[in-house]
Amino acid sequence: MSAQELTARSDGLRRRRAVNRSMELLAWVAALIAVAILGVVVFDVGRRGWSELNWNLLTKQPIPFSFTNAPQGLANAFAGTLVIVGLATAMALPVGILVAIYLNEFAPPRIRNGVGLALDVLAGVPAIVVGIFVYSLLVVGGGGQSGIKAAFALAILMLPFVARTTIEVLALVPNALREASLGLGVPQWRTTVSIVLPRAVGGILTGTVLAVARVAGETAPLLFTSSLVGPQVGWNPAHALQTVPLAIFELSESPDPKDHARAWAAAFVLLLFILLASLTARWLATRSARKIAGR
Amino acid sequence: MPNLGTSIRIVTALAAAAALAAAGAGAASATPAKQLTTLNGAGSSLIAPALAVWGPAYTKAAGVEVNYSSVGSGAGIAAITAKTVDFGASDAPLTPDQASACGDCVQIPWALSATVPTYNIPGLHSGQLKLDGPTLAKIFLGRITNWDDPAVKKLNAGVRLPNLKITTVHRSDGSGDTYAFTDYLSHVSSQWASQVGTATSVSWPGGVGGAKNPGVAAVIASTPGAIGYISVAYVIQNHLDWARMKNSAGNFVLASAPDIEAAAQSVKTVPAGNKMSIVDPPKNAKFKNAWPLSTFTYVIVHTVTPQAQALRKFIFWALTPKAQRLINNSFLVFAPIPTVVLSAAERTLNKVHA
Amino acid sequence: MASIDTTSESARRPFEGRRVHLGDVVLQGVAGAAAAGATALVLLIAWKVVDGARPSISKFGISFVWHDVWNPVVGREAYGAASFLFGTAITSFVALLLAAPLAIGIALFLTELAPRVLRGPVTSLVETLAAIPSVVVGLWGILVLGPALRSHVEPWLHSALGWIPLFGPPSSAGASIFTAIVVLTIMILPIVSSISRELFLGVPAELKEGALALGTTRWEMVRGVVFPYARGGIAAALILGLGRAMGEAIAVTQVIGGGTTISWNLFNQGDTLASKIAAEYQGATSNLDVASLIYLGLILLVLSLGANIAAQWIVRGVARRHGVTRGGRA
Repeated sequence: MSAQELTARSDGLRRRRAVNRSMELLAWVAALIAVAILGVVVFDVGRRGWSELNWNLLTKQPIPFSFTNAPQGLANAFAGTLVIVGLATAMALPVGILVAIYLNEFAPPRIRNGVGLALDVLAGVPAIVVGIFVYSLLVVGGGGQSGIKAAFALAILMLPFVARTTIEVLALVPNALREASLGLGVPQWRTTVSIVLPRAVGGILTGTVLAVARVAGETAPLLFTSSLVGPQVGWNPAHALQTVPLAIFELSESPDPKDHARAWAAAFVLLLFILLASLTARWLATRSARKIAGR
Repeated sequence: MPNLGTSIRIVTALAAAAALAAAGAGAASATPAKQLTTLNGAGSSLIAPALAVWGPAYTKAAGVEVNYSSVGSGAGIAAITAKTVDFGASDAPLTPDQASACGDCVQIPWALSATVPTYNIPGLHSGQLKLDGPTLAKIFLGRITNWDDPAVKKLNAGVRLPNLKITTVHRSDGSGDTYAFTDYLSHVSSQWASQVGTATSVSWPGGVGGAKNPGVAAVIASTPGAIGYISVAYVIQNHLDWARMKNSAGNFVLASAPDIEAAAQSVKTVPAGNKMSIVDPPKNAKFKNAWPLSTFTYVIVHTVTPQAQALRKFIFWALTPKAQRLINNSFLVFAPIPTVVLSAAERTLNKVHA
Repeated sequence: MASIDTTSESARRPFEGRRVHLGDVVLQGVAGAAAAGATALVLLIAWKVVDGARPSISKFGISFVWHDVWNPVVGREAYGAASFLFGTAITSFVALLLAAPLAIGIALFLTELAPRVLRGPVTSLVETLAAIPSVVVGLWGILVLGPALRSHVEPWLHSALGWIPLFGPPSSAGASIFTAIVVLTIMILPIVSSISRELFLGVPAELKEGALALGTTRWEMVRGVVFPYARGGIAAALILGLGRAMGEAIAVTQVIGGGTTISWNLFNQGDTLASKIAAEYQGATSNLDVASLIYLGLILLVLSLGANIAAQWIVRGVARRHGVTRGGRA
């Protein structure tokens, strides 16, 4: 190898190292920018929300067109969100689990793929289209808006999520358990209900908590199904109920700084709830992973 | 010299004090009595301030709760058509299509107010900007694009107009304010009439959209050079500035309650469907100060409805002088409806039954 | 997300050939009905949307897609989707263009470069952002971001890059197509980056180590091993991000300003398919107006399902090639 070749090779190496360094730098910069943007959003919502937070937000109802400084809150929105998201979970959870049981324990592969595709497609339907769907299916000519109909719309958004996570958890349950149970003469349904499901319950809970966190902030489907509301606090899902995301949406478009303050505070509470839910979900996930594996 | 903005703020503060006392009294009785009858309504954001006053007052007077959702006139018409609510509210009369879709619906004029051209020009307070119909139309057609345009200058001799780009702001939802505003522009500008027309929602030549009255107010407040149209109560609530408009008598007026009342005097007879347009009222020696962008606002109900009795009682109550007085003040600015319209309203209301 | 299921049939179904109990039949029946219901729901949604749009479809036909008038005035009614399609296209594509390098950069950073202590917190932050409701991002967009962009970023971009039609004269309103693009970028960034991160983590360590052992630099290893391995998956992630951006209604409605014309100037106001529906559906003036808004929804449905199915299709293809098992993700 001549000296010239050696220099050329080390030149090449130097260039390659330089390219490497600059690319690494770019990745650092990209990461930094992204983290900065994301951090600013979270921090800003947190900062503004925290400073506007007080008990009135949860306990007082809004006063429409108020000229006064009387304390206002969004008690009606928090009540409505509790009712609607609760109902949506009650609808989506059992159906999602049943779908998962069917796909994982019973369905022949072709059906499994077909229904799996349907779930993926359902997950890809934009929330606003789900809103149109529920509106034209249930609201028009069906007695108007109500909390139940809004819950149904949210349940549609939750269903693929719950079903998918449950399928994944069920698939993790060791087959040896099923075989042992069946070997002892336990029928398949009892095996599923009392051996497989209890093993998977932590994972299902994780998925559910995440799904709840996801739909609690969903606005678009509520726009057409539960938006004709007054300031009164209501718990009856047969009527339209105000919700937190819709309230934030409306307040965000107001010119009044006092309305903005309430919007920030409500956004903060919503965000806090979602963060807590995610943390809970992560905690449940680590716990249930241990349990599924049988350790 | 105290300018108009300041005096409005003072009035608002006084009104606020009064309302605070009222709210305190209201809060004391806010613990829900058992099984109140509830009337659910939705629609016009123009009438929403009135219902914010009427609702609690009527609950006190009659023990009936009125639950109103300010979603815009278009949405109000859709809601009553779909029977999603007990009553709809709209500042725009039903179109023939809407009337037939709504079936046995009747529209009853129950309040009178105005939409006003609202602007954000730094340094120019309420009433300091003067406009006339054709100029306003040109601005919204995009033919006048700067505040120092000669056409605007000509109307505002002695006012320093900045070299500032005009941003027009309109409602993005179906709106009765849009109806009144486009109705007015169609009256005063043939180009507007042929190119855009009159409706609750039109094909805007340009500009920024805002949701309902608060949304438009928010865009105007945050956009230097903006001009839009807003129900007068929202302008006052949000301390925005609005223009003096030249009416057909040649006077520049400022949408006070008497000016709005004067415009309504142009109604001599009420047509069968109660559809009335009082924008750009003809020149009249007696009502020289008529505000040219005034509008009746309607409550829409089904003739046959299970809530007939409660609805009739409530609407009759709203039409009483007492109820009309509740919303006729310097910060809500609803004018009392003329007698001829009142009797037409009551005639129509009598048709409503269970 | 797609299920990647290659577990062998016999191992997965130990029940085969057993005595059938009544309970088995009941459970299978109920669960099967639920699955059938979920499938039927998809068809029902599609049918209901097509059915609702029918008056508009029969009146305007396919030309609805490229006509750009939207005139709800009685007697002059004419509807077309072009300006909203344009708005959807420009907002979602530019947002993707901005988000893609950042997201891939973040994913590379998290898998290859970051010190261990940073990986956990940064990953959590990104995942957290994915969970922020769109209405909250929209709130921030309309009250904080929009005014800031208008006062600082837009004039600067215009003076620096004004010769490009995209960076025309800034609007005086905070709401603009540009604000919507930034908001959408923020919303799809976490999605694309967390999928990319998982893909990069899935690259077999022996391949990476092998490349490094041959004397490649880290970047060469990424370019030669990680990217080719994850290419399909990244494409799928980008398409999913695109679908998300197209379907977003609320945050976009809050910040895009409801403009009515097709404008290449990003600082003007605009509207997208989803934001138009969100703003006007409730107050639509006539049956044809309602049907036309649902027609917009139908177009949106077709676009986002197309994106979704394309992404699934790519993922499945990749999974087949790599023989990834379902457990590989967890």
